[in-house]
Amino acid sequence: MNEQSSSHGVPAPLPHYVSTAPFDPYSVERTTAEQEKIYLASQWKLMALKFRRHRIAVLSAIVLGIMYASTLFVEFLAPYQQDTRNVQHIYAAPQPVHFFHKGEFIGPFVYALDYKLDMQNLKRIFTENPEKPLKIRFFCRGDKYNWWGVVPGDLHLICPPEGGPMFLLGSDRLGRDMLSRILYGMRISLTIGLIGVAVSIVLGVILGGLAGYYGGWVDDIVQRVIEVIRSIPHLPLWLALAAILPVTWSPLLVYFGITIILGLIDWTGLARAVRSRLLSLREEDFCVAAQLMGASPRRIIFRHLMPSFMSHLIASATLAIPNMILGETALSFLGLGIRPPITSWGVLLNEAQNINVVVLYPWLMLPMVPVIIVVLAFNFMGDGLRDAADPYR
Amino acid sequence: MKRRDFLLTSLGAGLVLGAPTAFADFIGSPYFKDKEASGDLPPVAERLPKNPAVAKMPELGQQGGEIRMLMASDKDTRILVAYSYARLVCYDREYKLVPDICESFTVEEGRIFTFKLRDGHKWSDGEPFTSEAFRYFWEDVANNEELMPTGVPTSLRVEGKPAKVEFPDPLTVRYSWDKPNAEFLPQLAGASPLFIFRPGHYLKKFHKKYADAAKLEETVKESGQPSWAALHNRRDNQYRNDNPKLPTLDPWVLQNKPPQDRYVFARNPYYYRVDEKGQQLPYADQVVFTKTDSKLIPAKAADDSDLQARNVRFDNYTFLKEKEDKQQKIWVRLWDDGRGNKLSLCPNLTCNDMVWRGVMRDVRFRRALSMAIDREEINQYIYFGLGLPSNNTVLPFSPLYKPEYSTTWATTDIDQANQLLDEMGLSKRGDDNIRLLPDGKPMIIIVDTAGESTEETDVLQLVRDSWKKVGVDMFTKPSELEVFRNRIFAGDSIMAVWTGMDNGFPNADMSPWEFTPTSQQQLQWAKWGQFHETSGESGEKIDLPEAQQLFDLMNQWRAALDTESRTKIWEQILAIWTDQVYTIGTVANVPQPVVVNRHMHNVPEKAIWSWEPGAQFGVYKPDTFWLDEQRPLSKVAEQ
Amino acid sequence: MFRYFVQRLLVMIPTLIVISIAIFVIIQAPPGDWIETYIAQLVAQGEAVDPAKIDFLRKTYGLDQPFYMQYLKWAGGLIQGDLGYSFGHSMPVNEVVGDRLSLTVVVSLASILFVWIVSFPIAVYSAVRQYSVGDYLFTFLGYVGLATPSFLLALILLYFAKEYFDLSIGGLMDPQYMGAEWSWAKFQSILSHLWIPVLVIGLPGTAGMIRRLRANLLDELNKQYVTTGRAKGLPPGRLLVKYPLRISLNPFIADIGSLLPELISGSVIVSVVMALPLTGPMLLEALRSQDMYLAGSFLMFMAFLTVVGVFISDIMLALLDPRIRLGAGASK
Repeated sequence: MNEQSSSHGVPAPLPHYVSTAPFDPYSVERTTAEQEKIYLASQWKLMALKFRRHRIAVLSAIVLGIMYASTLFVEFLAPYQQDTRNVQHIYAAPQPVHFFHKGEFIGPFVYALDYKLDMQNLKRIFTENPEKPLKIRFFCRGDKYNWWGVVPGDLHLICPPEGGPMFLLGSDRLGRDMLSRILYGMRISLTIGLIGVAVSIVLGVILGGLAGYYGGWVDDIVQRVIEVIRSIPHLPLWLALAAILPVTWSPLLVYFGITIILGLIDWTGLARAVRSRLLSLREEDFCVAAQLMGASPRRIIFRHLMPSFMSHLIASATLAIPNMILGETALSFLGLGIRPPITSWGVLLNEAQNINVVVLYPWLMLPMVPVIIVVLAFNFMGDGLRDAADPYR
Repeated sequence: MKRRDFLLTSLGAGLVLGAPTAFADFIGSPYFKDKEASGDLPPVAERLPKNPAVAKMPELGQQGGEIRMLMASDKDTRILVAYSYARLVCYDREYKLVPDICESFTVEEGRIFTFKLRDGHKWSDGEPFTSEAFRYFWEDVANNEELMPTGVPTSLRVEGKPAKVEFPDPLTVRYSWDKPNAEFLPQLAGASPLFIFRPGHYLKKFHKKYADAAKLEETVKESGQPSWAALHNRRDNQYRNDNPKLPTLDPWVLQNKPPQDRYVFARNPYYYRVDEKGQQLPYADQVVFTKTDSKLIPAKAADDSDLQARNVRFDNYTFLKEKEDKQQKIWVRLWDDGRGNKLSLCPNLTCNDMVWRGVMRDVRFRRALSMAIDREEINQYIYFGLGLPSNNTVLPFSPLYKPEYSTTWATTDIDQANQLLDEMGLSKRGDDNIRLLPDGKPMIIIVDTAGESTEETDVLQLVRDSWKKVGVDMFTKPSELEVFRNRIFAGDSIMAVWTGMDNGFPNADMSPWEFTPTSQQQLQWAKWGQFHETSGESGEKIDLPEAQQLFDLMNQWRAALDTESRTKIWEQILAIWTDQVYTIGTVANVPQPVVVNRHMHNVPEKAIWSWEPGAQFGVYKPDTFWLDEQRPLSKVAEQ
Repeated sequence: MFRYFVQRLLVMIPTLIVISIAIFVIIQAPPGDWIETYIAQLVAQGEAVDPAKIDFLRKTYGLDQPFYMQYLKWAGGLIQGDLGYSFGHSMPVNEVVGDRLSLTVVVSLASILFVWIVSFPIAVYSAVRQYSVGDYLFTFLGYVGLATPSFLLALILLYFAKEYFDLSIGGLMDPQYMGAEWSWAKFQSILSHLWIPVLVIGLPGTAGMIRRLRANLLDELNKQYVTTGRAKGLPPGRLLVKYPLRISLNPFIADIGSLLPELISGSVIVSVVMALPLTGPMLLEALRSQDMYLAGSFLMFMAFLTVVGVFISDIMLALLDPRIRLGAGASK
């Protein structure tokens, strides 16, 4: 380094550092393994990663997964069959599960119930008999059932003990086990949401897509139709549609009819979301490029635009399912929904909504708990999905 | 024939002569103190008829206080007309007909009815109540073409011929027909009665014949009614009881116009009954109906009601009993239910489905279904064993009762039921061991119901299980009430569920119409009933010999002139009814809880709760119910 | 701008016509008519029905006329402001609806206020402190309100109010004030009865509102102009309020249109359970008994409110957002 100033008066160079490492022109662009994972990840992978950050959403997804998986085996999981009546034990309170009998550990058991009829107040009084522990059986043979109505069987995960009933969540007015009924009701309530949402997704995507993509008069018409449907309060629609369902339909067909009705009324929200998304996305460069390259509208919508709002679609759909479930509950409350012998949580709650129950037999309101859990779970999961939906942010 | 008329006349006279009309003083209620002082109302002696009706009651009471009740809709103002039970003739507690508004009445040959009114009896607005009220009804309402375009009501006709009505003097009215009319007096005494008098002096301003044409037109337009006739009918609805301005003879008069959340009825200053001390009835100064959703009524009954049995069901008893113990404000009593059955299944013998029609018309089928039901089970599990397992027929406290009526074909016998069905040739079975109909389809009965009660669902559930044991399946189809009925009338329904006989404890003098094919409302043979009601214009002719017999017996009853012959006819009717099992009953006489304020007196401890006859509380005369501890009266805003 | 205004106004008219036809069809769809309901009810109570009177009634009220005639009669009346005649209550519709409507509006407005007052601060807090404990807690509470079936919640709250607060249940005020004149005591009584319905009706709305507000606010807070502002040193409070908050109020305005009818109809089930003298139970009964004019006119009124509401919110949005004004038609 020459520290002497030159004879021309050029100022001395400032002290600086020069690396001795060999020069690598690609150093900025090369990525570490971790960075590579993120940059090269597909859209869905990114979504999954972001979703996992939302811990409650993950928990909800797990809970829902378990519940839906259980709907496949309710016959196996429930201690009794849906309609098994035990008229000796009407309105029995939930029996607590004990483990220690007189200080000794003998495994899970319930005490036998002694029955007394109070003729003064017309009340049935059940008391635990502390002398008679009845052990709960597992993986045992119990009530006969038809799995999904087709395959006969009688293996249960958990059965009532010999010689005594086991009402873990109490019994209702015909002596039917609430736990079993809630489990059977789960199958109906959870699947109603799915079918109904499927109907409304199909309608919403098609109509919203058309409106959003073409705009102009197509948009206007669809918007007006949406407005008309939204302006008519749902209640009369339900009443009228439920009254139209033919009398001779079996309860199962009625069930399907109800889900379709719910779906038919609910698609407007989804359609609007799709439409507004498409309206904005349509102006994006990639879409314009596709149009210029001569792609047909169908290809543009499904291949290019859909992936962009698919995530939102899923999030909205997930959030629509709990509305379906609550809608079915409300319909059953009004007496327009599912009819016995098919049981859903709505039907169970309908049977519970009178003052006798609130005061004297509150365990009949327990179906409310799974309803809340499921709705919460869907909401949280939907939130997580929506937060994760736009991973590029 | 003469003996019965004599009995009736003397009964009427007995009430007049037996009761001492010499009162030292009539005592009016302090409620009217101010109005009497200011001269707006004359003193009580002038407000009562010269010969007021004297009420007999267990305990003499004191005037004052108000009775609160809970009702479910605006239309329930009519319930007070039923409860008040102020009738021309009414039933007493033995269900014999006695004069009430009228002072006495006579019946000649079962076809000539003469009523004597009370001298000095006035409407609630002070105008005299005379035969003019009857004249107005007969000439200006019943025979007015615009008010009654279909002519005189059928209830005033015998074999199509209207009555001959005469008014010999201001206090006498006579109705006569050519043939006997055994249903006339019971209709006058009904819960929803036949009113043959009107407050003409009030209604004239709505009547074309009397009102100024221009003014009437204006009034009509203002009211929103399509015509003067519609307006007149609207204002004139005594039973509906929703017009505060309509003069009435009832003990309490409506004060505020619907729609309201709370209806206040104040005592009628001109009411015609007194107690044995001379106090003018009713005892209670006011009756208040608070409107509440019917589901909430059991919850509120213990706190907000003094007298409640409507909308309170048997399964509310436990809850109410707890309140009774905890709060000590009310008593919860259990009365007998006057209906023939709590729930009866009515196979539709006039349904359109020919296969089902054939099967159900075979009496063996009905008997089998009836025997397959385990009534003891239903009684135990749903009614705590307090009901009476029985056919849909007369109850033990009816004078016509015989034990075999309840039990024939009603004992549980699965084997015999199976045997009967096999005998019928229905022994082929399909899936699930369900029998097959003659055309090969499985025997699945769709039972129509209009009810929303879980109790009904439960009973039907138990019935279904019972029937499956004999190879018959069933499921229920709930519908709205009018859809339900239309399905039955049209013949689309195979079987329907309803409560049993309205009048489950008739005596021989009460009409056996419920046991005979005379009305479309009878779900088991709606089309035959329709045929009769429309005089052959629609419906179908009866084509089962036993049913035709019942119909003929009904006509014989109508023509009968004394209790003895009527009893014989009833026995024949009941014999056929029991043998043929036209409807399938389950449990009868399920107790009806009645909530009574502990401070209220004269409400029976045990009684029969029945709409017809009896008007629920009516026959026990609520104007004699009194409170020993009185709350301040509710106020109503000036209308 | 004016053109847009007029355009939207004109579009309203055919919309309303279509809605009215749809409403009429829906009401008449179930088989039977009001007369049959009336008879059925009478018979169910064991009361006599004169078959001849039935035809007479039918003729008087024009129920025997063909479908389109009845529709024209009703629609014609509506245009003139005549809401028709309610068979079930035997009085003109506006007398039946009268008081109930004002009470319903009061309850609905109270619920709306509840929703806004509760959801706004929670949403802001959640957005600003995303993923914090507070965020999770509040959103959880909000959702519980959303998830619970309202009618059951209403029943339970009613019972507790009765037992522990000694509140007389059913109705919006103590019985002694019903039909009496307005007074401070009456007002207090109404307030004490009001909180349950408002709570039950408002809770579901709260959760939804929280979610939406939070999402929008988050969207805005991640935009570049906010980062710029922060970098430039704007105090965080002012930064929050001055721009993002205003823009995130968009959904409030967009929803004004459907807010009132939604609350009115959302309150139906709750008011049925709690026996409130609101329009809900009245509508339900009218529909069940096919009381044509009452149900139809009231529904039409609500639809009218919705359509007008949407119109207003469109206008307001147009005023706020030029993109909408200039039309978002397809560029092709």
